[in-house]
Amino acid sequence: MDRIISFFYSFRWQDILDITVTSYILFRFYILFRGTNVFRILIGMTILWFFQRFAVSLGLVVTSWVVQGVAAVAALIIIVVFRNEIRSVLQARNLKSLLWGFSYKTVNTTIEFIVDSVFNMAQRKCGALIVFPGKEDLEEEIQRGIPWKGVISNEMISSIFWPDNPVHDGAAIIRGNQIIEVCAILPLSHRSDLPSHYGTRHRAALGLAESTDAMVIVVSEERGDVLVAKDSHLREVKQKRGLEKKLQEHMGLVPKKKPFVRKESFETVMAALLSIIFITGVWYNVTSGRDTLVTLRIPIEYKNRKPAMEILQRSANAVSLDLSGSGALIKSIKPDQIQVSLDLNKAVVGNNSYTVTRENISLPPGILLKSVYPTEINVELDVTIKKKLPVQVDWVGKLPDHLILVEAQIDPQTVEIIGGKRILEKISTLYTEKVPLDNLKGKGNITANLALNPASLKIAPGSKEKITIKYETEERYPESSKEAAGKGSE
Amino acid sequence: MRQRIVIFFLVFWGGTVFLLQPAASQENKNAAPSVSPESLSLFQAVMCEEISANAPQYQTVIFSVAKEKAICFTSFDTVSEKTFIYHNWFYKDIPSSRIRLVLQPPRWSTYSSIQIRKTDIGPWRVEITDSKGNILHILRFSITD
Repeated sequence: MDRIISFFYSFRWQDILDITVTSYILFRFYILFRGTNVFRILIGMTILWFFQRFAVSLGLVVTSWVVQGVAAVAALIIIVVFRNEIRSVLQARNLKSLLWGFSYKTVNTTIEFIVDSVFNMAQRKCGALIVFPGKEDLEEEIQRGIPWKGVISNEMISSIFWPDNPVHDGAAIIRGNQIIEVCAILPLSHRSDLPSHYGTRHRAALGLAESTDAMVIVVSEERGDVLVAKDSHLREVKQKRGLEKKLQEHMGLVPKKKPFVRKESFETVMAALLSIIFITGVWYNVTSGRDTLVTLRIPIEYKNRKPAMEILQRSANAVSLDLSGSGALIKSIKPDQIQVSLDLNKAVVGNNSYTVTRENISLPPGILLKSVYPTEINVELDVTIKKKLPVQVDWVGKLPDHLILVEAQIDPQTVEIIGGKRILEKISTLYTEKVPLDNLKGKGNITANLALNPASLKIAPGSKEKITIKYETEERYPESSKEAAGKGSE
Repeated sequence: MRQRIVIFFLVFWGGTVFLLQPAASQENKNAAPSVSPESLSLFQAVMCEEISANAPQYQTVIFSVAKEKAICFTSFDTVSEKTFIYHNWFYKDIPSSRIRLVLQPPRWSTYSSIQIRKTDIGPWRVEITDSKGNILHILRFSITD
């Protein structure tokens, strides 16, 4: 009981907004995709997810792993297979209809054009086949016709089905206020109970209506009838008003019969309620529950450093954060979701001391900060300057005893370096990397790199990075060695 | 009245000169016998292993620890009066020793040396400066195994 009271006590306005927004998004998804294949697949996916969670809770390792894999692949397949259906839902409507309703004004006039054209063609006994897709994708049912993309008008429809027109034989597909395709070939119905006077057009219209949620208008060439195929039914329409009503119903523009409206309203309300309950459950599962503690080590990010300045030293590169939150949130938290930043905008050259507070730490929602260690960070800053420094060879090893290195000229003798002012003030010589003496004989050249210490130092553009050492060795006791050589030859 | 003012200023000026003169002469006594850098002309500056007959022997830029000693030899053109110079020895940019050397006519050359130990291995330099600290020359060398 105490936990419930404390839960409601800790309820914030952000949480209410969180639940409301997410529930509404879920609800809109239902409204937009209901009745489509995508929706059915999404339901299947949800069941799959619950099944996977159930398998995990039972400890069925392989089952949960397989289900998880299937779900992941299925998600990808849905997007690929139903791309057109998803596009028709998300693209064909304006922003307002996406967020709120479905009405558009242009359709009414479009319907009038279509109805007029259809009855004109019927009067002239000009055959026609017009498809109005529903929410389902027709790509797999219809053999590709010719893309048209023409705005609907009386003349446009009449000209497409004019007997001398090469494209008059197939079906025209209308979406919104556009004829998107003509000369499309529809699947034929295989029903045997159709009247004998029905021709190929009638069978094609019925064939598509049987397999999809599309509505098809047929104008009979022989009898001049107007028929509407929808949901396995092919019915004659005698009046313009009747056809107009059927088109409006198909496009979701007219108030439907009362019981049907009631049923649909009930479904919508239930969907809204279920969305809220479902999201509240998910929210509760994610954000509440028993407090879990975790310690994460997060690197410190230094922001707004003046371009001329550079960081010489810092007392710590990272801070340890003690965080608390629900088990689910803490488990899912990743270090890159948390940022610890210090603003160096007001920093000065030399030592700067900063205290890490809550304002310096960015945490994901629902995660609380318990403590920080260390809280004090010292940052030493310096101004970047250029300095020309003499170069010296750092010899190592041992020269043979009889040799003496009399000269070592280096090129270049000086190199310009970029680095912190305070560092460069303390440096008066640049040393090469260790150059071994052991193999030196006579005269020769060696190339060596500079050993830049600290690593923050950089060679200025235009300065040579490689140092050439021209050396010369001599015999330590030339006369005695000659004498020895002479005696040896004697 | 004007005469009194003139006499007062004369007495004041005379007193000031009289009082300051001994202090200035004292400073001169303490001051180093210096020769301006322009007049002190370095003729030779080398690192060597030995000095023989007042001349450097085995000039080199490498000193083995086994040799135990590194010598910096400097020789100047004619020095008209007694003066001194410094040999400042640095090990990796860190001052190691500062040796004051006197140049007294007719002796115009001088040298300083350091004892080499195992811990001295690394790059070295000797800055030769005049009495005022003006760098006349820098010699660079290394102490190796």
